[in-house]
Amino acid sequence: MKLWHSFKKEILLATRGFYFYVEIAMAGLFLFLLLFVIPENFDHRVDEYLFYDVPDSAWGYFESELLEMDEDGSVEVVEIELDKEIISGSLYQTEENNYYVLDEQKQAISLADSERAFAGVIHMDELGEVTYTYYMQGYETDRLRNIYAVFHNESMDVLESAFAAQDVQVLHEDQVLLSDRQNILPSFLTFNGSLMGMFILASYIFLDKKEGVIKAYAVTTSPVWQYLLSKVGVITLTSLVTSLIITIPVIGTQANYLGMFVFLLGTGFAASALGLVIASYFDDITHSFGVLFGLVILLMLPNIAYFIPTWDPIWMKYIPTYAMLEGFKEILLPGGDMSYILMASFGFFIAGLVLFLFANMRFKKTLTI
Amino acid sequence: MIKVENLHHSYNNNDEYAVKDANFEIPEGEIFGFLGPSGAGKSTTQGILTGLLPLQKGIVTVAGYDVKTIKRKMFNKIGMSFEQSNVYSKMTAKENLDFYKKLFDVETRDSEELIKLVGLDGKENVRAGEFSKGMKHRLTFARSMINNPELWFLDEPTTGLDPAIAADIKDIIRQQNKKGVTIFLTTHNMFIADELCNRVAFIVDGEIKLIDSPKKLKLEYGEQLVEVEYQKNGDIATETFSTVLAEDKKRLQDVIAKYDIQSMHTKEATLEEIFIKVTGRGLA
Repeated sequence: MKLWHSFKKEILLATRGFYFYVEIAMAGLFLFLLLFVIPENFDHRVDEYLFYDVPDSAWGYFESELLEMDEDGSVEVVEIELDKEIISGSLYQTEENNYYVLDEQKQAISLADSERAFAGVIHMDELGEVTYTYYMQGYETDRLRNIYAVFHNESMDVLESAFAAQDVQVLHEDQVLLSDRQNILPSFLTFNGSLMGMFILASYIFLDKKEGVIKAYAVTTSPVWQYLLSKVGVITLTSLVTSLIITIPVIGTQANYLGMFVFLLGTGFAASALGLVIASYFDDITHSFGVLFGLVILLMLPNIAYFIPTWDPIWMKYIPTYAMLEGFKEILLPGGDMSYILMASFGFFIAGLVLFLFANMRFKKTLTI
Repeated sequence: MIKVENLHHSYNNNDEYAVKDANFEIPEGEIFGFLGPSGAGKSTTQGILTGLLPLQKGIVTVAGYDVKTIKRKMFNKIGMSFEQSNVYSKMTAKENLDFYKKLFDVETRDSEELIKLVGLDGKENVRAGEFSKGMKHRLTFARSMINNPELWFLDEPTTGLDPAIAADIKDIIRQQNKKGVTIFLTTHNMFIADELCNRVAFIVDGEIKLIDSPKKLKLEYGEQLVEVEYQKNGDIATETFSTVLAEDKKRLQDVIAKYDIQSMHTKEATLEEIFIKVTGRGLA
C-alpha cells in the first residue's frame, strides 16, 4: 500500500516536472519524423551511367536486354544536369538500379566523377568483339572487381551452370518484411523506452537528492526500496505510454502488443535500475554526465549494426541494446518470435533485479547526513 | 527512551572517529540537548540514532529497538525534523504532509491542523517551492509531528526563523514535551538549549565532555555575583558583590538601604560561557 502511495506521489511529481514532458515531446517528435519525414520505403536503387559504343545494328540487342530488365518494360527519356548544363539520357529502372544510357562517353565518365557513381562503356569493334570498361570510385572491394573480371572472362554458360548448382534453401516461405519506416521503429523504441528511461530516472534521483527528500523518506516505516521502485514504476509507465504513442500510428494492429508490454517491463526495469546505480554514485547530474554520456554512446552502438548488417561484430551482441533492438523487431513483425521476446524480457528482468538490489544497497549506505 | 553505550563511528572505517566512545541515556519525557560546534559529531550521532547511518561499534537502543538490527516499525515512534528543510517543492504544503501520513502505520495528525500550528495557515495549497526558507523549515518541522512521535529528533529547529516564529516553535516543543514526548535536540544555539532542555551534553571532536542540567552547570561553573548600579553623590556607581561571602552580603544590604538602586543583575554564567570553559572551544 505504501508502495502504491509512493507511486502515486511519483506520478504527481512527474506530471509537474520537466522531464515527463521531455519524454512525451520526444515521442511526438519521433512520431512526426516517422509519419511525415521518413518515407514508407527508401529508394535503394543505385545509379549507373552507361555509354554504348556499338553499331546501330547491335544496339537493338542491348536495348532489348535493358527493356527486359526494366520494371515497366519501357524507356523513359530524362534530363540530367551535368556541369550546369542539361543533357538528355534514357533511363531504364530495375528493382535495384537506375541505368542512364547517355549519348557520349565523356558524359558517362563525367557523371561518374561528379555523382560519385559507377559508369560503364560498352564497346563493340568491327569483328563484333565486345569490350567493357568500368569507371569506379576506387574504394570498391577486390571481391567486386574480381566479379566484374570473372563475369566478362568466363563463358556465361559456365557461370550459369555454377549458379544453377547452388543449393538454395528457403527457410521461411511466407516471410514478411517490415517497411523501411517500420524498420526504424525498434531503434526509436530502444532509445525512447530504455536510454531515455535511464537518463530521466537518474535526473529524478538527483532532483530528490538536491531537495533532501530521500532522507525524509528514510525515517518513515516505508523501506527505501519502495521509494526506488516507485520511481522505476513511473519511468516504466511513461515508457509504455510513449512507446504506444509512437507504435500505434505507425504499425497499427500488426504489432504484438502483449509482447511489447512484457518486453517494455523487462527492458524498462533494467534500464531504470542502471540509472539508479549511476545516480547512487553521484550528487548531481553534472558530475554524472560523463558516465551517462559514455554509457548512452556505448548503448547506441548496436544501432549501427542494426542499420548496417554487414558490420556486426561478435562483441556487439553483448551490449544489451542489441537484444533490445532484436526484441522490438520481433514484436513488430507479424508472427514474430514470442519465445525470443519472453526470454529476452526475462533476461532483462533478472539483470534489472540484480542492478536494483545493488542500487538499494548503495542508497541505504549513502544516506549520509 | 535512548540508551547509547560506547558508540564509535568512523566515516573512513579507520581510527579517525567522528564520534568516540559516546555514552548517555535519555529517560522518557526529557528534553535532551546535544550541543557542540559544527563538525563536533552531533549530526553523526543523530544519524546513527535515526538509522540514517549504520551502527559500526557500540550499543544503541532507541524507543526500545536495537539500532544494529533496525526495524522499520521503529519509525512509527520517531519524528525527525531536519536542519535543512527537505520537502517536495513541486507539491503543496498539504500534499507533502498527506503523502507522509501514508508512510506510517499509526494514527496520524491532520495535515491542515499541523500547517496551522506552525503558522502556515492559508498556505495549504501553495507549492513548497514557492515558500521562503523559513516557511519550508516550518513545514519540515510540522511533518516531523505527523505520526505523533514518542521520540522527537530536532536538528536546529529554530535556525533561520524570525524571533516571533522561533518563539512559537519553542512553545510547540514545550507543549509536545508536556504531553510526554521525549525530545533529542541538536543545536549549537545555547540560548534555545538553555530555555528548553532538562539536560545538555557538550560534544567536541566526537567526544562528549559533559552531561548535566543547565541549572546545575550554571551553579557549578557560574560565579555567584550580583552587579548593582546605584546613585552616589549625583553619579552612577557600579559595584559587584558576592552572594556567598558574608562581608559582601552585608555591604550589599548597606548599599540597598543607603542609595537609590538603578539596576541589579545576577552575574550568572551563560551556557555558552560554560561550554567554552569546559571544552576550551567556542560554538561558531
